Amino acid sequence: MEQQKNEAVTTTKAEFDPSEIEYVSYGGEHHLPLIMNLVDQELSEPYSIFTYRYFVYLWPHLSFLAFHKGKCVGTVVCKMGDHRTTYRGYIAMLVVIKPYRGRGIATELVTRSIKVMMESGCEEVTLEAEVTNKGALALYGRLGFIRAKRLFRYYLNGVDAFRLKLMFPCPGIHPSLSMMADRDESQMHHEHIASGECPESHRCS
Amino acid sequence: MSGRDTQEAAMNRQVPEHNSIPSGENTVWADVSPLLEAACKELRDGELIHGDNFNLFAAMSALEIMDPKMDSGIVCKYYSLDEAIEDGAAPVPISHDKTIDIQSTIDIMDHLLACEATWHSGHSLAQTVFSCIYLLRPDRTSSHAILHSYCRVIRATCKAVVSVVSDARTHEEEDVFTMTYGLPLNGNGDEKCLSMLNAVEETISRQLRACKAPSSKRRVLEDIEPLQHNLDLEEGFCKALLCRLRFRKHFFQALSCMRRPQGRGFELARKHIASCVSELGFILKSAEFLRSGACGTCEDGIEDSTTASGCSPIGFDASLNSRLSAPTPPRAIKILSWKKAVEYFVKLLHDLDAICSYPLDPSLEGVLRFVVQFQKSKPDLVARAHLQLLLVQDGKLYGRDPIFAVITKAAGLPELTKNHDIQKNEYIVQLVQLVINMLKILCTNAAWQRRKLGKILQDWRVICVQLEIALRNEIGEVSSILDDENMSVKMLRYILNWVEEQTYWIASRFLMLGFELDLYSPNEYCMVYWYLYVVLIKLAEKAHIRITATNGTVKRKGGKKKKDCLKEVAKESRIPPAILFLQCYVCLAEGLTMLLAALRNELMVLQSSSPFNTERERFIQHFELLQKACVPDHVSYPSFMESTTYAQFSTLAMYNYFKEAQRIAKEIKSSFSNDPDKLAELKRLEQIAEHNGVALNLICRVGALDPSLKVTFEFSHHPFFATAVVKRS
Repeated sequence: MEQQKNEAVTTTKAEFDPSEIEYVSYGGEHHLPLIMNLVDQELSEPYSIFTYRYFVYLWPHLSFLAFHKGKCVGTVVCKMGDHRTTYRGYIAMLVVIKPYRGRGIATELVTRSIKVMMESGCEEVTLEAEVTNKGALALYGRLGFIRAKRLFRYYLNGVDAFRLKLMFPCPGIHPSLSMMADRDESQMHHEHIASGECPESHRCS
Repeated sequence: MSGRDTQEAAMNRQVPEHNSIPSGENTVWADVSPLLEAACKELRDGELIHGDNFNLFAAMSALEIMDPKMDSGIVCKYYSLDEAIEDGAAPVPISHDKTIDIQSTIDIMDHLLACEATWHSGHSLAQTVFSCIYLLRPDRTSSHAILHSYCRVIRATCKAVVSVVSDARTHEEEDVFTMTYGLPLNGNGDEKCLSMLNAVEETISRQLRACKAPSSKRRVLEDIEPLQHNLDLEEGFCKALLCRLRFRKHFFQALSCMRRPQGRGFELARKHIASCVSELGFILKSAEFLRSGACGTCEDGIEDSTTASGCSPIGFDASLNSRLSAPTPPRAIKILSWKKAVEYFVKLLHDLDAICSYPLDPSLEGVLRFVVQFQKSKPDLVARAHLQLLLVQDGKLYGRDPIFAVITKAAGLPELTKNHDIQKNEYIVQLVQLVINMLKILCTNAAWQRRKLGKILQDWRVICVQLEIALRNEIGEVSSILDDENMSVKMLRYILNWVEEQTYWIASRFLMLGFELDLYSPNEYCMVYWYLYVVLIKLAEKAHIRITATNGTVKRKGGKKKKDCLKEVAKESRIPPAILFLQCYVCLAEGLTMLLAALRNELMVLQSSSPFNTERERFIQHFELLQKACVPDHVSYPSFMESTTYAQFSTLAMYNYFKEAQRIAKEIKSSFSNDPDKLAELKRLEQIAEHNGVALNLICRVGALDPSLKVTFEFSHHPFFATAVVKRS
């Protein structure tokens, strides 16, 4: 179901300095329309509001938004949970609007999500991307994802997808990974929600 | 959200007076509107009333009513089929002007062909072929013989194709394909479509003859009413209709013949296929006539058009059936163009012909080779389903040869063992099932095939272990008997070796398909070729054991003259060509591994560093299924590192794997002179070996000195052996 959009298309590029981009963890209802707008604009799959809320209410700390001068230019939406015998993270949607692509915003967004997943004890991260989406495939390739499977005509538009997977090293076998050492704690300012707790109100008798 | 709920609650305040379900002993109807209303007032933004099991699937399945992207029940034009018909969306006759009526009929036929091809390529039947209102009401067309017979044969053909695909059912690819809920596929009298088609064909043939006859003879034929009234166009229309009707007739018959058991209908099917291809040629040709102003101005681009004339057809509405496609959101289906549809059918017919001309090779090796070769042309689901039904019928190969007999033959055992009691053993019964599964999997699309092949490796491995145990037990039992070799022991030994060989074959196919599916990135090629190399070595080893043992059996059986015997011993001491063929693969895989490793070690290219993990994790992920099944034993990331860490160009130049591969390919060509497929493969292998040998030399000479040297890998010569391309940047 999920999609990624980060093609390095040469359209009218926005002029900006990377330091001007502000990254924010999902902060509540006021962020929801921003995320929905971006995804509806850029991805072909239709999602209901339930789908968005499912993600951002259960895992607000895994969703991030990128702002440039107050304008939302990119977002990532994720989840995590048990999958068969593993605890895995899942990147559901990644969008950066066209004028801002190719400048590392998407990489920064997913990197933030992946770091939280790793800290939360995930053993691996997965996602699906269209086989034709060279930009996204390159991005995830650089982050260490492998193309684990090809999914025949996965999307509603009939295009195949790759299931991409990133496996974290088992602690103990590879004790020191450089990125773990110089992790920038200051980048993390999200509120943790106890996993399993459902924030949606439960009023059915 | 809460606002919306309040509105709905308000609307439902009135308790319906005529309850269809009466109150019972323990139930009573109550008005919940006030409760709902109160609940709505309490709800804040973002809150949701839901059941306990509200999960991602539930969230994804939820629809927003009246959102055209999601609501498949949204009314686009008509509420119902009846309303569409009442509104005149599909009139019968299509027009009272006979010329326009014929033109429109041809447009409908063409659009149906485009719909059919679109259906075959993965969309629902309801939204493609059955977007045709005429098809949905079989009785309405009965007064229009041409349209009626065409609709009948379309429904009958769809039914036949659905049955082939659902009989061959192996996985979800077919789910959309075979979904026929609510469609009139079992139209009354559709089975008589051929006689109807013949009658219509006969009439039009006579009309064609009549209009072509010189005016002097016309009088005799005057009792024949022309197809339509514009005599200048009569011939063109007759011809355009005839090829379309005949195509349908032969296509339906070809499919029926192919369903006969044991491939008995293949010869006849091939004749119908050939007729289909030639009728498609006429159909293509008719486009010129149909386009030449037959319907005046057609604004649509001809290339994208779904009809030969370029006009849009009458009587289609995809939205009428979109509710049948629930729970998926309505897909915007782009119907293939008429040209693409014709191309699709040409390809399908070609693939079906390949199946029908297959000589039903009784050896499993031959079957596997045929299937792999067949899959190279990327056949679509319909062709693959036919192949699968041919290979496995009633649990037998071609519905003819018992699988156990096929296995003993493949394992190199003599003919008389095929009825041995060993086949009653549980593990042999399982093995037979594994072979059937493997054959079915090999007929699926490449993506699914690879996943399934990876998964069945474990089952094959388990059988290996069981056979080993059985063999050990047998040996223990017979050691007391003074027989030179007990038959069961011999059979187990042969079968075990063959199962191991087959396991490595599956593993090699799994790895090779990864290239075809584009699953490896260049910085992973090194480990993939290394793994392929270790698997291929094992495969060659097991195949060699089998071939040597079989030759021994043959020799012992036939009491030949001394001279012949000596000759055979001389022959045996050489490595059989089939093994050398594998050896050639081994050399290329090893050569590429070492070349890639040396590039990484010395030129620091294609290294793979990433922020979150290392190459080790990528190795584990890529080969997880092989490692789980211990294929091969004792192979792991450390052993990969051990064999590649010290790879250097200086040593590579001394022992040149590519030269060796080239030499072998040259040497064994003559042994395969009557096998064009293998010969073509050998030529490709030779080319790659030569190219890579040259590239290796070049890198050895200037690589370290010239930092601008760029090495890339292409698959221009072979689907899974890369060619190194060296360039100065």
